[in-house]
Amino acid sequence: MRLRPLAPFAFPLALSAALVVLCPHPARAFGDVGAFDPRVLLTGNQSGPARATAPGRWSWELVQRTSAPARLRPSVVRADDPAIVEAPFLYWSGDAEVAPLTATEISSLRRFFSLGGILFVDDAAPGERGEPSAFGRSARREIARVLPDSAPVSIGTDHVIFRTFYLLRRAEGRVEGPPSLDAIVHGGEAQVIFSEHDLGGALARGASGMWEQTVHPGGDVQRERAIRLAVNIAMYVLCSNYKDDQVHAKWLMRRRTGSTP
Amino acid sequence: MLSTHLGPSADLPPWAVALACALAAASLVLLFVEMRRRERHGVVIAVSGLLAVTALVAATLRPARVSARESTVGARVVILADSSRSMALAGDDGAPRQSARDAAIARLKKQNPNVRFVVLGFGDGPPLPLADASRGDASTRAPRSDLGAAIRAIATSAEERPAAMVVVSDGRLDDPTEDAPEASLRELGRTINVPIHTVATTRGAPVDASVRRITAAGAAVAHAPLPLRVEVGCAGGLVCNELTVTARELRDDGPPALLASGLAHVKDGSAVLDLTVTLERAGARIVEIAVAAPPGDTIPENDRRLVTFNVGREHVRVLHVAGHPTNDVAALRQWLKSDSSVDVVAFFILRTMTDDSRAAQNELALIPFPVDQLFTDQLATFDAVVLQDFDAQPYGLERYLPNIQRYVRSGGGLVMVGGSNSFVAGGYAGTPLADVLPVELDGSRGGTSADTMSFVPKWTAEGLAAPLLDPLRSVLGDQLPSMPGANVLGDLRRGGVALWSHPTRSTRRGDEMPVLAIGEEGDGRTIALGIDGAWELKFSQLGSETAGRAHGALWDGLLGWLMRDPRFEPAQLEVVGGCTAGLGSTLRARVVASSASVREARTGGPPPKPPAVVLDLTRIDEDASPIHIERVLPAGASSVDFALPALQAGAYEARLRLGGGATTRHDFACEAGGDEWADSRPDARRLEALAKATGGSFAFPPDAGSLPLPRPTVVSSERHVTPLAPPWAWSLAAAVLLGAHWVVRRRSGLS
Repeated sequence: MRLRPLAPFAFPLALSAALVVLCPHPARAFGDVGAFDPRVLLTGNQSGPARATAPGRWSWELVQRTSAPARLRPSVVRADDPAIVEAPFLYWSGDAEVAPLTATEISSLRRFFSLGGILFVDDAAPGERGEPSAFGRSARREIARVLPDSAPVSIGTDHVIFRTFYLLRRAEGRVEGPPSLDAIVHGGEAQVIFSEHDLGGALARGASGMWEQTVHPGGDVQRERAIRLAVNIAMYVLCSNYKDDQVHAKWLMRRRTGSTP
Repeated sequence: MLSTHLGPSADLPPWAVALACALAAASLVLLFVEMRRRERHGVVIAVSGLLAVTALVAATLRPARVSARESTVGARVVILADSSRSMALAGDDGAPRQSARDAAIARLKKQNPNVRFVVLGFGDGPPLPLADASRGDASTRAPRSDLGAAIRAIATSAEERPAAMVVVSDGRLDDPTEDAPEASLRELGRTINVPIHTVATTRGAPVDASVRRITAAGAAVAHAPLPLRVEVGCAGGLVCNELTVTARELRDDGPPALLASGLAHVKDGSAVLDLTVTLERAGARIVEIAVAAPPGDTIPENDRRLVTFNVGREHVRVLHVAGHPTNDVAALRQWLKSDSSVDVVAFFILRTMTDDSRAAQNELALIPFPVDQLFTDQLATFDAVVLQDFDAQPYGLERYLPNIQRYVRSGGGLVMVGGSNSFVAGGYAGTPLADVLPVELDGSRGGTSADTMSFVPKWTAEGLAAPLLDPLRSVLGDQLPSMPGANVLGDLRRGGVALWSHPTRSTRRGDEMPVLAIGEEGDGRTIALGIDGAWELKFSQLGSETAGRAHGALWDGLLGWLMRDPRFEPAQLEVVGGCTAGLGSTLRARVVASSASVREARTGGPPPKPPAVVLDLTRIDEDASPIHIERVLPAGASSVDFALPALQAGAYEARLRLGGGATTRHDFACEAGGDEWADSRPDARRLEALAKATGGSFAFPPDAGSLPLPRPTVVSSERHVTPLAPPWAWSLAAAVLLGAHWVVRRRSGLS
């Protein structure tokens, strides 16, 4: 992997980041139990997320940019673990085809969804134009087994996910991909969100402070927009459709009209 | 009395007797005509003919001696005497109308000594024996004048049916109404099917201006305009061309609030004015409708009416303010949004001053937190405010805390939900808002604001008995999930009730630290929930066993109790028969649920100790000494009655506490005259029309004795019939005499 010119500043940046993290920060929930936790979902023979550092970085960005508390050490849960129902969010990523879900895994995921949980499926190996990888295709196939009566639909900028914190014009990740996300919507709420943008790839940052993946084609600007999408997804988990409330509508309409792309 | 007389044989019907007599008379007439043309033997023929006819009639009637023991029974006549409050108003001679009523009844009895009178008083529902006039105003206490209900009750009674009915009243009746058509009066008469005579006690109206009637177009809904139609009037020669009408809400948190006013233009003694009022708070609200009566008004009590509106909610309008987004905030928001009857206005702080969003303002979907607008002008439009883990200081809420205090005391609901920026940590200790919370907050230096050790909340006895937690217990039983920590809350404030407590922490006074507490403050209610882990009732192993319903069940009860949903009140209160100023009344408390008792009984434990039921009665519209009554709910009983002393006219708040648990409140009004005095004019025409439609007669009291009442009936209790001669003797005599008459006629040349 080719290092970016930012490399000489990697150590100071990492040190700064570490200081910020270690600095006394007001507790935002008793024991951070109620904080945002990008829990990594593992199925079949998966041993970890495709971008191991992405969940932690996701939380870090959320804490730095917003008032939302987040777990800087996200938890990991297997699909057949009863603990799957202990938090409202799951992050499922991969770059290879996933094995068919077992009956236990399907049952556990159904219990999770029945409580109102949200699953974010992040394809870590999409094509340049967002063509789904083997993971993306197999994940959709398995989710269809979990939620057989639902089908993903495209959600564009009119969906609240694109304005839960940042006003976003499109979805982006490590790759530019399609401008929209796909989602299985139940009762007006997105239950499963599919991304063909490798969002984790844009978030992943190693212990050295270096970004682990280059972002195509927009570079750092695109990475920033990808981080913003990640923040918005976290805010959607924590606030659901809060920004769809009437009290916000006029403001946001005016701001969208006046803002530049 | 034993009497003896002659009569025909008992086997003859009356018509046969009459026929025999008629034929005999006709025979005698023919004989008489025949004799006028005869010159000889006429006397002999006439005598023999008379004897023959007499014998023939006797043979037919076969006379017998009848001995009978007979008595005279007077007809049963029911007198329905008006026992409503309007009979206490002045009559024609200045004395109460009840005097004329009682005089008319006395006259009826005197003039008809053979009539069996049954004197009943009618008012509200079936008639009752009229109270003795010597018992003061006992016979003028009924809050209504429902003659129709009284007549229908007598018609369906199993007692002896009356032969006639006499109604003695001033004619100002609830049923039949003033404009009842003749057909409906006839229909009312047909239910009893006897003549209804009427006596009008009063002819002239007193000098009076009054609020006669108030009707509302539809049910009262909080925040929605409610049109009222107010009918006012002047009578008895009182001159009033214009009357000022005001509508004011009587409140316990301040002077009456003027809702509307208008000028009624009086024509032909009455006027109708349309007013529109808006009641902001749900629950029982008492509105005073009053007229400014001109000088000379002799009945000031009916210049104002106190109307109790049970104000409902079309929607519950909730202001949800959260200090930062968390799973707990998300869970509560999702529950609030899932209920279509709840209108949520939410403001979450998504970015603090220390956060670096790395974006220009126009790239953010953030709007300013309108703290000024929300907590000044808009505050009263919300039914409940939820402050969830919200720090007052950074957002300028501190200067609006007195507003929130006033909001609660005037009927608003407040929930403070825990978190690291809530309660003491949120800077609320020692503020006006802390004065309305159900728990004390220790803001002293060195005080601890939070305990971050995990714990499982403990049910208190009051929590187990509280109906507002019944939904949660029905889903979850007595289990609760482990919580990641708790805000440190102080002792319960006066009236506060702890529903959950901390298993290890205690308060300054040594009591278990409340975790969930409820309280009443003024007209409003507050809840302190010192945890931020309620979302684990949804997302946890325990939560998943109930499909996440436990979280919704908790908030269903909490918000429902806050909004005074009857389902979550510990008791339902009712003033039996309404409250009339100056008279004692009964307040009945029906205990809705006593979960603790049920539980103990179910587990076979010792019988639960009967809980004390404490009633506090306070005046809403004026300062007055409160009334405190304590009773014990008898074992197995579900209701308890409180005898209230005679109250003055005004608005009252009854607050009831069952054991050490939550309180429930019922507002009611006591009126001096009520509906019965609202229109003081007598209505003799209505009584006259009723008498005419039912075949009765109408009179004023001096002529009451002349009413045509049914005659008495003769009743034979013992009867012996002895024939004077056997039938063959009568037949033989008739045959002999007829034969003799025939012989005489033949000898005289007659055929």
